[in-house]
Amino acid sequence: MDSISERHVKNSKNQMGIIFVLLIVTLLFSIFAMGKGSSSSLDMLSTMKIIIGVEDANSIQSDIIWKLRLPRILMAIVGGAALAIAGALMQGCLGNPLVSPLTLGVASGAALGAALAIVMGFTIVKSPEIAIVANAFIFSLIVVAIIIQLGRMRSVTAESYILVGIAITFITGAIVSTMQYFATDAQLSQLAHWSFGSLSRPTLENTLWISVAVIGLMPTAMKWSWDLNTLALGGDDFAVSTGVDPVSIRKNILILSAFMTSIIIAFTGLIGFVGLAAPHMSRLVVGNDYRKLIPCSAIFGSFLMLFSDTIGRTLFAPIVIPVGVMLSVIGGPFFMYLLLKIRR
Amino acid sequence: MKNILNANEISFSWGDNEVLKDINFGIRSNEILAILGVNGAGKSTLLKCLNGILKLGSGKIEILEKDTSEMNLIEISKLMSYVPQSVRSSFSVDVFDVVLLGRRPHINWRISEEDRQIVSKTIRLFDLEDFAFRKFDKLSGGERQRVVIAKAVAQDPQIFLFDEPTSDLDLKNQIEVMQIMKDITSVSGRKSAIIAIHDINIAARFADRIMLLHNGKIFALGTPSEVLTKSNIAEVFGVTCDVIPSTNDHSMRIIVKDGIKSK
Repeated sequence: MDSISERHVKNSKNQMGIIFVLLIVTLLFSIFAMGKGSSSSLDMLSTMKIIIGVEDANSIQSDIIWKLRLPRILMAIVGGAALAIAGALMQGCLGNPLVSPLTLGVASGAALGAALAIVMGFTIVKSPEIAIVANAFIFSLIVVAIIIQLGRMRSVTAESYILVGIAITFITGAIVSTMQYFATDAQLSQLAHWSFGSLSRPTLENTLWISVAVIGLMPTAMKWSWDLNTLALGGDDFAVSTGVDPVSIRKNILILSAFMTSIIIAFTGLIGFVGLAAPHMSRLVVGNDYRKLIPCSAIFGSFLMLFSDTIGRTLFAPIVIPVGVMLSVIGGPFFMYLLLKIRR
Repeated sequence: MKNILNANEISFSWGDNEVLKDINFGIRSNEILAILGVNGAGKSTLLKCLNGILKLGSGKIEILEKDTSEMNLIEISKLMSYVPQSVRSSFSVDVFDVVLLGRRPHINWRISEEDRQIVSKTIRLFDLEDFAFRKFDKLSGGERQRVVIAKAVAQDPQIFLFDEPTSDLDLKNQIEVMQIMKDITSVSGRKSAIIAIHDINIAARFADRIMLLHNGKIFALGTPSEVLTKSNIAEVFGVTCDVIPSTNDHSMRIIVKDGIKSK
């Protein structure tokens, strides 16, 4: 093997090593996070023993870990991963680093659905426990349907998707604002709570179903890695010359990303920053090869979400600061630091 | 000798504006065909139609006697590689990885040892060793152009389609890149190139045949000395010139003088 090939292989191995280390750190941190909280604090070893059932912990500790913290931590891991993957896919297929899972207007659709349920009492599913989630999910799917319709037009460009997404955001924003204008204080407060983004809403059962859906969609995302490499680098003409049909690939990738975003946001409320920042942090450490970028973004997304939520739960305990707020407060400066340090 | 590519009666329109009208031509093995014409003559459009980036209004394109409308993009990209006028990226990618994208039609998932070797060899061929692990978006326009041409070479197609390959290059780089293309098309297998270009002298020196496109039609097609006559140049480009036959090789020099005032 010549020196250029050797160096490429070495770089590639180093990047895989970084991904592995990040994975281990995230797993260890999730065990640590499971032991920490306002009601009781355990060290990692004791937490580990309770999880694997070696130690017969008292039932309160076991209940706290299994029923309260595990769903939340699992949701942080899965939600962070899904939003980060959606962000990475969308940035690549639209060739635009400013894009996040919120760009297409999926989250605005979800917000409209939630507002209709909270303020107007308009619910598609009548069961009160899931009415808001169902509304948010169904209205975000309406946005996915608009994206599918848009994708059927042969002349649609990357910019058209972004502009339509911005238009949807404005339209739904105006409707939600109108509803807020007429809402009671209690309704306003509930809507504000929804939009903060929180991991406390999904139950363990919800979280397990969400995990199955996200894990099920991941191989499809990975399958498009080479197409994304081509689209992200050189745009449509360059992609065609390399054997990639940009119009159909972009449509499929956007539908998948929008769907992944819908699943998460319907349960958690508005969380956007992780989908913008995690892919960029990953680009700084593993480069732009989507075969590595997708798994690395997923891990970074999980870690960011988990870390922010753990700080939000413990910093001012027993007050819990919503994860959406913490993500921006902690993730924002960290993201800027990384960008400035590495691009110096 | 059979043509490796045939364009039969191809036409293309942007809305009501007919850009290409009944274009007929073929390209043989080991040949460089330069397409010349004024801005808007349809040079880039013709290349994009050949590569399948733009769908033909009518007509047929055959590569190795196979209709391209019956082939998928991967099959076409193994036979033909298009190099756009410029490639700009919003993301930072190593030069090696850009050239590696040329192997995309041949790769399913894993990069084979052979793919890496082809990329390394191409990087050396284009004197890009020092740039191999630098970021593509940090290079100058000329360096980026070399990298994108190297990507097309790593793709190992039969036919190269170049849209203004020398537009961002300095004089030395223009000659070097064209010489590499000349070498690739003249020695290795059955490779050919179709090059849309503005520089009439570069075309005269390196092309085996020249196509003059005028108002969406082929105005003239033949060897440089057949096509690049004073009257053809005056008619198509609207300039007067002197055409000086070269003494040491088959190429000639065209010295452009004045624009002809339209009546």
